[in-house]
Amino acid sequence: MLYPFLHAGGADLDTLMEDVRRSTKDKVGDIVRLRETVLEEHGADLTACAARMADAFRSGGRLFTFGNGGSSTDAQDAAALFLNPGGSARPLPALALTNDAAVVTALSNDVGFEVVFARQLAAFGRPGDIALALSTSGNSDNLIAALREAARRGMVTVGLAGYTGGQMAETPGPHHLFVVPSSSVHRIQEAQTTIYHALWELTQEAL
Amino acid sequence: MTSTVTEVFRRRAEPGAALADDADVIAAACHAMAVRFHRGGRLFTFGNGAAATDAQHVAVEFVHPAIVGKRALPALSLTADIATLTGICAGPGFEDVFAHQIRCLGGPDDMAFGISPDGRCGNVLRGLETARGLGMLTVALTGGDGGALAGAAGHLVAVRSADPRVVKEVHVTAYHMLWELVHVFLEQPEVLNREVVA
Repeated sequence: MLYPFLHAGGADLDTLMEDVRRSTKDKVGDIVRLRETVLEEHGADLTACAARMADAFRSGGRLFTFGNGGSSTDAQDAAALFLNPGGSARPLPALALTNDAAVVTALSNDVGFEVVFARQLAAFGRPGDIALALSTSGNSDNLIAALREAARRGMVTVGLAGYTGGQMAETPGPHHLFVVPSSSVHRIQEAQTTIYHALWELTQEAL
Repeated sequence: MTSTVTEVFRRRAEPGAALADDADVIAAACHAMAVRFHRGGRLFTFGNGAAATDAQHVAVEFVHPAIVGKRALPALSLTADIATLTGICAGPGFEDVFAHQIRCLGGPDDMAFGISPDGRCGNVLRGLETARGLGMLTVALTGGDGGALAGAAGHLVAVRSADPRVVKEVHVTAYHMLWELVHVFLEQPEVLNREVVA
């Protein structure tokens, strides 16, 4: 048991402190190993995806990122990294579809939460643009709908998921799908942060 | 410099593993945060750029836990209110953007959580100093040697990397652990009246 004293009557602080320290060390080990697995499973496709994204940007394409909850903050981080990377890196057109509370609440209230990203892609998306969907489960209805809309519009589609990929992994699926093989939402998000950082760096390299 | 995907991932390994050395700091910070939440304290999170999205991630982690059955705790990101942010920037200025909100929203039972990958964000520093002046608990995530934040926070995790993206990735693990371990302590209220011996 990870925290045995949670279930014993009356916890001892020193023992609990020792338990949480050990838990931190174990989980740090988990994420280090998980990144190694991601590199083994997806290294080649990350390079291929970045080359395709660089091609898309070269042809005037723009990046649209989206996700729910914690993944929405990753979507915003990814868009901000492409748009405003700082230093000598090249700024690229990117927009997170969760930024505008007016648009998000209007679509959710008037139509439904499942269209909140798809409708924005219908408004903004052009052939040659890139859609980047971030999910831990791979099952969010609004992400699946948006990836479908993006594919219909001739966009390059990229998906990040966890577990075994969920609905995102069902055919036809996105052009590039990176499934983080873990059942911990937290470790999945940590590895996904590395994945989009790697995609950014390799895209810059390819441009 | 040519980056290959292998090299990009390799650069993460050492700073990622080194977070284990901060297990003591993380445990002590979580105990102190659990004590504050138990008393009704609220968590205010803040940072710039990429760290602004981390601040929002930390807030949503506490308010709406991804793990079913964990209680909702009061946490607010000071980066989310764009009217207030742009209003303060247009008025007193960017340096005051977090400190102003902490002065108006914070109290002595509350907590300030500042994130600055290089430790040199003046507005994060000012936010932490203001919080400390109010008697709030202060926690900071930073990088390198901690920069100016090193002396400004009661609990500090500094990721030893100069690459802001690597620092950010380790911060994500750090705040996921902070969230998880706060709940471990909160579920044992009898340990919340005790002092942690460093």
